[in-house]
Amino acid sequence: MRKLAALAALLTVPLIACSANTTGTATTGTTSASPGKDSTAVGFIFVGPKDDFGYNQAAYQGSQEVAKAYPNLEVITAENVPEDDNAARVMNSMIAKGAKIIFATSYGHLDAALKVAAEHPDVAVVQQGNLITTAVPKNAGTFFGTVYEPVYLAGIAAGKATKSGKLGYVYAFPITQTIDNINAFELGAQSVNPAAQTFAVSTSSWCDPAKQAEAAANLLKQGVDVITQHQDCTATVIKATEAAGAFTVGYHADASAIAPKGWLTGSQWNWGPLYTDIVKTALGGGFTGSKYNDNFRVGYRTGENPFVQSPYGPLVDAETKAAIEKARDLLKTSSPFAGPVTDQEGKVRIPAGTVPDYTTIEKIDYFVAGVVGTLPKS
Amino acid sequence: MTTQLTPDRVASPLLAPKSGFGPALARWVGALAGAIAIFSILLLTKGADPIATLVDMVVSTTTGASIEQIVIKAAPLVLAAMAVVLPARAGLANVGGEGQVIIGAVAGAGVGLVVSGPAALPLMLIGGALGGALWAGLAVALRVTVGVNEAVTTLLLNYVALDVMLYLIYEPWKDANGSGQPATPPLAIEQRLPLVGGTAVHMGIVLALVAAAAVWLTLRHTSFGFRLSVVGGNPEAARRAGLPVARLLVTAMLLGGALAGLAGVIHLAGIEFKLRPGLTTNIGYIAFLAAWLARHNPLPAVAAAFMLAAITVGGDSLQLDSGLPAATVNVLMALILLAVLGWTAKRSTS
Repeated sequence: MRKLAALAALLTVPLIACSANTTGTATTGTTSASPGKDSTAVGFIFVGPKDDFGYNQAAYQGSQEVAKAYPNLEVITAENVPEDDNAARVMNSMIAKGAKIIFATSYGHLDAALKVAAEHPDVAVVQQGNLITTAVPKNAGTFFGTVYEPVYLAGIAAGKATKSGKLGYVYAFPITQTIDNINAFELGAQSVNPAAQTFAVSTSSWCDPAKQAEAAANLLKQGVDVITQHQDCTATVIKATEAAGAFTVGYHADASAIAPKGWLTGSQWNWGPLYTDIVKTALGGGFTGSKYNDNFRVGYRTGENPFVQSPYGPLVDAETKAAIEKARDLLKTSSPFAGPVTDQEGKVRIPAGTVPDYTTIEKIDYFVAGVVGTLPKS
Repeated sequence: MTTQLTPDRVASPLLAPKSGFGPALARWVGALAGAIAIFSILLLTKGADPIATLVDMVVSTTTGASIEQIVIKAAPLVLAAMAVVLPARAGLANVGGEGQVIIGAVAGAGVGLVVSGPAALPLMLIGGALGGALWAGLAVALRVTVGVNEAVTTLLLNYVALDVMLYLIYEPWKDANGSGQPATPPLAIEQRLPLVGGTAVHMGIVLALVAAAAVWLTLRHTSFGFRLSVVGGNPEAARRAGLPVARLLVTAMLLGGALAGLAGVIHLAGIEFKLRPGLTTNIGYIAFLAAWLARHNPLPAVAAAFMLAAITVGGDSLQLDSGLPAATVNVLMALILLAVLGWTAKRSTS
């Protein structure tokens, strides 16, 4: 049993000095007053490929506009960065290369972004689309457009175009951003077609073409004749919809080229101006305390939404376009979620006469009446 | 003259022919050089300078922060590679490392949800190992009872494991205070693996290296290890010699599963702190690759795990310095696997 004894001896781990694992939770007072100031490089991480005809491509294009606006700045990009600790590693590599301004562009990059921000007080880390729910660190922030506003407008086009009254929504995760989109789409459709219903189907992935194809096929089988989506890569669903002779409402990018017949309209990103302004603010040393050192949201009510409506397809009639124009004007003072808004159980969630602010809208965790589908309980 | 049957000389289809350290090293270097040569051609077609790219890649792995990252990445890979190596000695192909890693993390997270305080971490580690063992046990039970090939069942169970985790993080275990993304609440500080000294490296690496040493000792110096080799070499002969073949197969697989489960729970408690959909980023599969690169020998498998971890970390440089697509690093890994397997297979038939 000498061998067993040797094994046992080996298993008694040599005592090694160890410390509590507080990775990413350090909130020690930051001494740097101006994170990102005079940086020589800017880093961008994307969760998917930078040529996905969708979310990541739009963000990548935005990064290239920053490169154009600041020719002396090195713009470092990394695609396919997972939403876990790998993201922190990649951001740290960018910082090692001199980047003091980092854009973490996927919703799930927030944890890693906050960890990196805590480790590097002199680096400004901004995250696209998520919400910092605790105190916002001096060198971090989130930013986004009010994505649901153009989606509401596209819902009007869908409500007008549908013959079956059934609209389809292929989504990834039940995050508030997506829930807002699905609700806004249905509310937009209802505003012109009270009987319209939206069938919401989840794929549990930002880009899984096999699941997307399955979701689109199931929706079409149920008689849905307009399909939209909240996916990072959008081509699969659009091609399936077009092949079935149904209408497409786009998301992230103008994909009318792959749906020449059925394209109605959609929403697409124009990140360049916002990215450039964030970089300008940080380079000048004014990041801390700026509007970007917060959960920054911009929409029709407050300024230039980086999410804009896509061009119309050939089958959108003048009446529909006029209805959308009218609604867009209305959004400058109102909201897609202006009360009354009722949930699937018929309970009034936003009373008549109330126009909720952006923060309230980003906390909506229910589907409105008219959406078919259930949200996972938590 | 009779030949002494020692564990090292037992023939096994999964074992490399016995050779000295020098020739083995030469084989490795030759295979790696071949892979890098082919990779350089690919780099040229993408308009990148191969020498500058490879130098950048190597240099990027030599900073202190990169070395910490390599060690952090290697820890679960070492354990998950042992989860392939140990059953392989008994002739079992454990392709289910990925699923066992996931279930290990799930079990660890489950324990973490109900136990707090100083007992939490040890119980999470035990829970993770048991979870991985259970998952591997399903496959080996089918093998010894109805004869279903474990390579198939372990692989398919990977997908089931992922679905189990997704169900849990979408519904019952979802962080109610989270941002809507499917994930469990973060582990409390005392539920996390402590860091080694003043570094960013968590204690998982110590566990992993101890486990690897234990696997090596077991396979080389214990009668249990010897019996596994006999079963792996010729199960029929082992049966006739009176060895409890089924029991040995089950034990080897359970131990393998426990090692993979431990990989999952140290990854969770060391660096991730939350279950989330992409939690494992293919730890099980990359470790499978490491085990094959080492032709199922424990100590070379540790080296291979570190090498693959280094390639992953160095691979960031392919994007950040050279602007190459993210998939480039996967191409490099695949080339290395093919080169090493091709080269060593050629040698073993000669």
